[in-house]
Amino acid sequence: MPLETQAKIRFDWFLPVIVLIISISGILNLYSAVQHVPEDRELYLTQVYWFAFGIVAAVVVATIDYRIFERYAYVLYVIGIVLLFAVLLFAREINGSKRWLEFGTFRLQPSELMKIFLIVALARYINRQPRVSKSLLADVGIMGLITLLPMLLVLKEPDLGTALMLLIIFVTTLFLYRLNLSSILISLGLLLAVAPFSWTYLFHDYQRQRIISYLNPDADILGASWHANQSVIAIGSGQVTGKGFMLSTQNRHEFLPAQSTDFPFPVWAEEQGFIGALFLIILYLVLILWALRIALRAKDRFAMVSAFGIANIFFWQAFLNIGMVSALVPVVGITLPLFSYGGSSILMALLGVGLLLNISMQTSE
Amino acid sequence: MALETYSRDLIVLRKRFRWTFAIVIVCFAILVLRFFQLQILQGERYLTQSQANIVRVHDVPAYRGTMRDLKGRILASNRPSYEILLTPAFFDYEQDFETVCDFLSLGPAEREELARRYKEQEGLKAYQPMLAKENISRDELALFETHKMDLRGVQVAYHPIRVYPLGRVAAHTIGYLSEVKEEDIASFPERGYRPGDTLGRAGLERLYESILRGRRGWYKTIVDAKGVAMDQVDARNVVDGPLRKEPVPGKDITTTLDADLLRLIDRIFLGYPAGAAVVVDVHTGRILALYSKPAFDSTEMAAGLTRERLDEMNASPFHPWIDRTILADYFPGSAFKPFPAIAALESKTVGEHDSVNCPGFLEIGNRVFRCGGQHGLVDMAKAIAYSCNVYFYNLAVMVGMDRIAKYSRDYGFGERTGLGLPGEVPGFVPSREWYIFRKKVRFRPGYTMNMAIGQGNLKVTVLQLALAYAAIVNGGYLYYPQIVKSIEEPDGTPVQRFMPEVRRTVPLSPDTRRILIDAMQSVIEDPLGTAYGTAVEGVSIGGKTGTAQVARQKQKKGQEMRDFWYFSRDHAWFVAFAPVENPEIVVAVLVEHGGAGGKTAAPLATDIIGQYLKEMY
Repeated sequence: MPLETQAKIRFDWFLPVIVLIISISGILNLYSAVQHVPEDRELYLTQVYWFAFGIVAAVVVATIDYRIFERYAYVLYVIGIVLLFAVLLFAREINGSKRWLEFGTFRLQPSELMKIFLIVALARYINRQPRVSKSLLADVGIMGLITLLPMLLVLKEPDLGTALMLLIIFVTTLFLYRLNLSSILISLGLLLAVAPFSWTYLFHDYQRQRIISYLNPDADILGASWHANQSVIAIGSGQVTGKGFMLSTQNRHEFLPAQSTDFPFPVWAEEQGFIGALFLIILYLVLILWALRIALRAKDRFAMVSAFGIANIFFWQAFLNIGMVSALVPVVGITLPLFSYGGSSILMALLGVGLLLNISMQTSE
Repeated sequence: MALETYSRDLIVLRKRFRWTFAIVIVCFAILVLRFFQLQILQGERYLTQSQANIVRVHDVPAYRGTMRDLKGRILASNRPSYEILLTPAFFDYEQDFETVCDFLSLGPAEREELARRYKEQEGLKAYQPMLAKENISRDELALFETHKMDLRGVQVAYHPIRVYPLGRVAAHTIGYLSEVKEEDIASFPERGYRPGDTLGRAGLERLYESILRGRRGWYKTIVDAKGVAMDQVDARNVVDGPLRKEPVPGKDITTTLDADLLRLIDRIFLGYPAGAAVVVDVHTGRILALYSKPAFDSTEMAAGLTRERLDEMNASPFHPWIDRTILADYFPGSAFKPFPAIAALESKTVGEHDSVNCPGFLEIGNRVFRCGGQHGLVDMAKAIAYSCNVYFYNLAVMVGMDRIAKYSRDYGFGERTGLGLPGEVPGFVPSREWYIFRKKVRFRPGYTMNMAIGQGNLKVTVLQLALAYAAIVNGGYLYYPQIVKSIEEPDGTPVQRFMPEVRRTVPLSPDTRRILIDAMQSVIEDPLGTAYGTAVEGVSIGGKTGTAQVARQKQKKGQEMRDFWYFSRDHAWFVAFAPVENPEIVVAVLVEHGGAGGKTAAPLATDIIGQYLKEMY
């Protein structure tokens, strides 16, 4: 059998095109979402700069042999942990939580980057295990600990949404870990998919409130449900064709909370209608399926687990964010990758895309 | 590690991707279905909700129609009541609160109360204006107008309130407004009342509610989530349909009442705690005055009575709520005598010159019926002038109850006049049948005799008596009483004019009419007439006195002797018309517990006529 190094290097045009369409839609939507807030008018420009920076970073990541990342995965992981500690020590509290490291006007949210670092670290751990391991539980335990450390640091900020994403990365990575665990993992995956719906349809209001206030005593239940309600009104009132660009009344009249970070999609749905919403949902679906395809074709475990992990981030963040704004799942602060405002979020997403491109150029078939 | 094992390992792992593709597709299909549900199935509803979020509809109250008297003087109209509103979100509490309190001249307790309410409002409702003081004075208004540039978050607003220049005079007839109650809103869904609205609660305000009130308008403002009004320029981009609907002001009403006459009557009634007067235009049935004393003050009623004032009025032995012109019926006493007289003459049962000797009493069986005096030999004219009961006892026996009852009914007694004001009572005219079948007593001539002198079971209202007298002096035309002359648009354009309407033409021979008019002139001008001495220079007046007995009183526990004495006195009546040669008006006066009609009521009635015809007519 010939060596894999002879694999064709093909550039995957499809992925960057989809990413670009989503990103441009997001910037346009952001422009519309913030025009009525005088101090935020320029926000979309910041977003454009971050995209430029992120694209450069993605190109760099795409061109370096990913085995380099494999080698330094734990180093990246440790850098991430150090940054998270730094956040807890040095960050300024904004709206009740510490999330950002500030270097002048430049703000970085390490918990976003930690998502990628964690994926890479877990991928490396799995990659380096012998094919037949005698200590399955010990492996799961070690990976659990690798996840738990950053998760606790993020929870301490507190940032429930990101902590939840780290947990999801861990659980879904296990999905690819061992064959004989398949039945357990599949049912676990199904459980996770069903959980949001049982949340909405199985529990009574007061039960949900108890659960939420148990998990997060500071949650503003009334405020959250009011926001979710206003978000649903925004989406629904867009009807089929939408109210038109810059004409979202729910946004312009300040009924939507965090319309640039957590709730940009309702603005889009209100202004572009069902057609626009369907367009974006399908783009995300295609992006995720494409990422899974890349994972499927990966030529080693590290590449497969990494690509799968990135696909997972896109899937869960898109699904939870869009589900949250349409009141299918409770309101937790999870952004819509490539669409929400936020430099670190974009950087994370584009680094992920870069890694995906990298892997896709070295597929086995 | 061998590459081969690696690949085999991957092949095993790849099998699991089937599941992941499926899960992703299912989840996104759910999202699409959700958006289909929200945007297409329920889109209409959410569009409505998103509009409701940002559109505030503000009422523009309709201007309630003005009520005027026949000469155009105002009986009821509106004036703005100003109030001061604070909006915590814009108001600088530290700097301006004391200033505002000083401007409003609030006492320490009021300041504390306002500060407490302010603190309550500050949180969630900080963008909603709150009331600091309502109904502020002109001076206070001027202070705020001059300083409005320095005081942020302070707003002067106003709403119209109803004023009644006549105050207590004719208050029952004009009526008053009060806030709608739950049951009003439920009873008249078509009028669209809302809490906080007012409606006509009594009198003409109530009767003409639907004409006076007009229809409210509205305007829309565009607000954000905090309720702050936004730039209205682009409201049209956001709101479908019109942004403003002008209110339709209520229509004005011109009544037949005469404000000056009413004030005159009120002056003349000074010193008498309770009574009533009705002035009717003989040729049209138009009511120039409906006066009842004591009364409430309509302006005070509209502003809302305090608990104490309400208790005080409810406890008053004079029952100020009752309109004595139409809501209460009385024995007419001798003021009724013209009607048995008409029955006698028209049925030719008794002739003009048939005479009776009056020894001061009449014995029937073992009962003695008294007269007011020993009148000697009296004919019809003298019997009326001197108010001889013995004559009318004899007349009653000869004419019979049913005939007297028939003529009485012809003149409108025993049924509502059709004035239309709420609560009017019909009075009562008894008959033989009524005594036998309803009261289940053996019919005795004494019943008829009492009826002929306006006692027994006969009951009339002041208005009925005035209209019946008008029918006598105008030759038999019983009019519907008319109190509203016309309805106009606010700019004066007539909408509807009401013509006098004859309710019934009663056969009345000129002879009978002449006999009665002459006799009633003698009441005042014959030295022995019951109202002799009440004549007014320059006007010839005719009329008939009445002294109606009051049911025998028992001194109540704790009642003062003075009150007991007052409430035991007879009611005094006088119904007058003038000028005798060509009567224009009828004035019916009732002085409750006034004693003898000739002494108490007659001077009031002639005084009213004298001053009215001389000074105003």
